[in-house]
Amino acid sequence: MGPRFAGAAVGLVFGFVLCWSGMIDPNVIRSALLFESSYLFLFFGSAVLVATVGVELLRHRHARALLTGAPVEWTRERAGRRHVVGSAVFGVGWGVANACPGPIAAQIGQGMLWALPLLAGVVIGVLLFQRGGAPETEPPTDAPAKPTPSVVPVTQSG
Amino acid sequence: MGTALSQQLAWYVAGPIMGLCVVACRGLFNGRLGVTGGFSEVVGKLRRGSAAFDWRGWFLIGVALSGTLFVLLAGGRSFSGYGWLTETFHGAGRVAIPFVLLGAGVLVGYGAKTAGGCTSGNGLTGTALLSPASLVSTATFFATAIAVSFLIEAVI
Repeated sequence: MGPRFAGAAVGLVFGFVLCWSGMIDPNVIRSALLFESSYLFLFFGSAVLVATVGVELLRHRHARALLTGAPVEWTRERAGRRHVVGSAVFGVGWGVANACPGPIAAQIGQGMLWALPLLAGVVIGVLLFQRGGAPETEPPTDAPAKPTPSVVPVTQSG
Repeated sequence: MGTALSQQLAWYVAGPIMGLCVVACRGLFNGRLGVTGGFSEVVGKLRRGSAAFDWRGWFLIGVALSGTLFVLLAGGRSFSGYGWLTETFHGAGRVAIPFVLLGAGVLVGYGAKTAGGCTSGNGLTGTALLSPASLVSTATFFATAIAVSFLIEAVI
């Protein structure tokens, strides 16, 4: 099993829980953003908590990624203007549509027609960004860049 | 299965599973889980006439397929209509909805790429990695989306 297959499998679980938790329903998102329901915040908070503890445990144990043998490590980005501006723009879109990219993808999979213009918009937004020539902000790995390694790591393909 | 799926999954089950998805991407291939990363991989590759997506693209495909799987197992879609939009616009006014959604989609896509993540990449993963950029991003998009929601509520 390679990272691509594993990525698809994790995506399947991730999306299925988005569907089952109601997070793909715009009414559920809207009632959370209007503070009428606490579900989203409890869901989100518990997800972040489990993720934080989980990845820190992996890093503390100097774990290596099971499929690639790469060390489990990441870089923490400093906050800049683009994070504030980009997220404000994103937040307006999320507040209007009440769906973010994960739920939009799951809605498309459910065959929802209203999600089609939304999907087209996301694709246009991504294209506009890429055509602007800015570097990719979410590369396949966020591991710190390494100087030329003195020892060639033994990797196992699987 | 269909009846179980028609009940909203408890947050204390759903949330931790989402968290474990972040841990799985780290533990399996040291990846930073994010749906917008999947969109930029798929859009970027297709532009160049390639469908050889890396794990980010396959992650997005998995999320989309989960919707299909959910419909098959639950015996129907998760909801009908489209939130406040279909509750507000009726009759001929519904023509406006696709344009509103298209515009909102552009903001979602462009904004998330600029910020380096959406609710998953920055909100969930980046926050869990204690990345200052992601913490600032998450606070910003929650604040903005909440403000926009109350604004819409005041107008409609």
